[in-house]
Amino acid sequence: MTFPHHHPDDQLLIGYASGQERVGKSLLVATHLAYCPDCRRRVAAFEALCGSWFEELPGEAAADLDGLLDRMDGLLVAPPATADKSADAEAPRLFDVAGEPAGRLVPEPLRSWLPEAIDSPVDCGSWTELSPGVWLSAWQRTLAGTNICLLRMAHDAPVPAHRHTADELLLVLRGAFSDEYGHYELGDVAHYVAPTDHHARGASKEDCICLFLLDGDLIFLDGEEERRAG
Amino acid sequence: MPQSLADDSFGDLVRLVAQQRDRAAFAALFRQFAPRILQYCRKLGADQGVAEELVQDVMLTVWLKADSYDPAQASVGTWIFTIARNRRIDRLRKESRPVPDMDDPAMTPVSQATPEEAAQLVQGSRRLHGAIGTLAPNQSEVLRRSYFLEQTHEEIAEETDVPLGTVKTRLRLALGHLKRSMKDTA
Repeated sequence: MTFPHHHPDDQLLIGYASGQERVGKSLLVATHLAYCPDCRRRVAAFEALCGSWFEELPGEAAADLDGLLDRMDGLLVAPPATADKSADAEAPRLFDVAGEPAGRLVPEPLRSWLPEAIDSPVDCGSWTELSPGVWLSAWQRTLAGTNICLLRMAHDAPVPAHRHTADELLLVLRGAFSDEYGHYELGDVAHYVAPTDHHARGASKEDCICLFLLDGDLIFLDGEEERRAG
Repeated sequence: MPQSLADDSFGDLVRLVAQQRDRAAFAALFRQFAPRILQYCRKLGADQGVAEELVQDVMLTVWLKADSYDPAQASVGTWIFTIARNRRIDRLRKESRPVPDMDDPAMTPVSQATPEEAAQLVQGSRRLHGAIGTLAPNQSEVLRRSYFLEQTHEEIAEETDVPLGTVKTRLRLALGHLKRSMKDTA
């Protein structure tokens, strides 16, 4: 087993641990965590740091909290834990969603957000061709100002040159891709800040499929603009 | 320690709530943590009424989920912080925080680590805790304000009475200090 080698930076991990990061990027971070035991530990350490800041908050009550405790009295009954647990035990395990072996499944929390398995054929209506061998999913969301969809790259197909006004993030869900900064495989995260020039291309036999996040708009450059931008 | 209990005593209180539905233990946890939950929610923009509802909501979760607290994973303070964080995201932002599902078969378990990866995990964890422990106080303070209290750089500059450039420098130094603790395989 090889764990991911390219991780979200600490700003994202601390922001996720503290709750400062909004839902869009948190979805990418949380899905990376499913692939990455190392970042799970890192987030736990940052949660402990936030926990220590929480404990250091002043303990003097700014209000009548004893009254609040009294009012909770009627709520303090035994939890209906046994009912919940038996319901969980009977729920079917998701070992073969859409007939996929577990190793091919997109992990939670992303899986619940997606309408179907990610390997749907490119001509089934779920994908829009951007350029030869490069597609964007019809599934798109805007969460707290972040645009989210899937990006699919055939082997050696280059993503057309583009410009973005803010952060762009990719999380590999299938296959692999490369750019001038590195080689990205399952669970790896690539993070491009606004003015970064980068040229991703598919680098695996099967199509590479990524979760694609963008703050702000994406502008694809035509040939002339590309030369000027490059 | 005067007035506050040692951390494992809080763990004992949570265990008493989980196993015996002990109301006195719950009241002790409430007196310790309710004011902090209130402050936390107020600082993140909740008005007094909403903050009090969140206190009640978080402490009720502590009562109901006490049996899920694992002292090996986190201190009681950290556990209650994570509950308060999740509740205020639900309530104040109307967002639901995405989290991995620990029972998901598609999750990569730590048990799949090669011996080399397992060693790196332990080392990386130790290095990060060391780095957090050795943050300069003024760097830790900008991290706290920026991520825990969600203040902008401008707000931090104003409240701590330092130039904006200094706030940005301290934040960059703090993140650089933490980054050096990462394993070098990236």
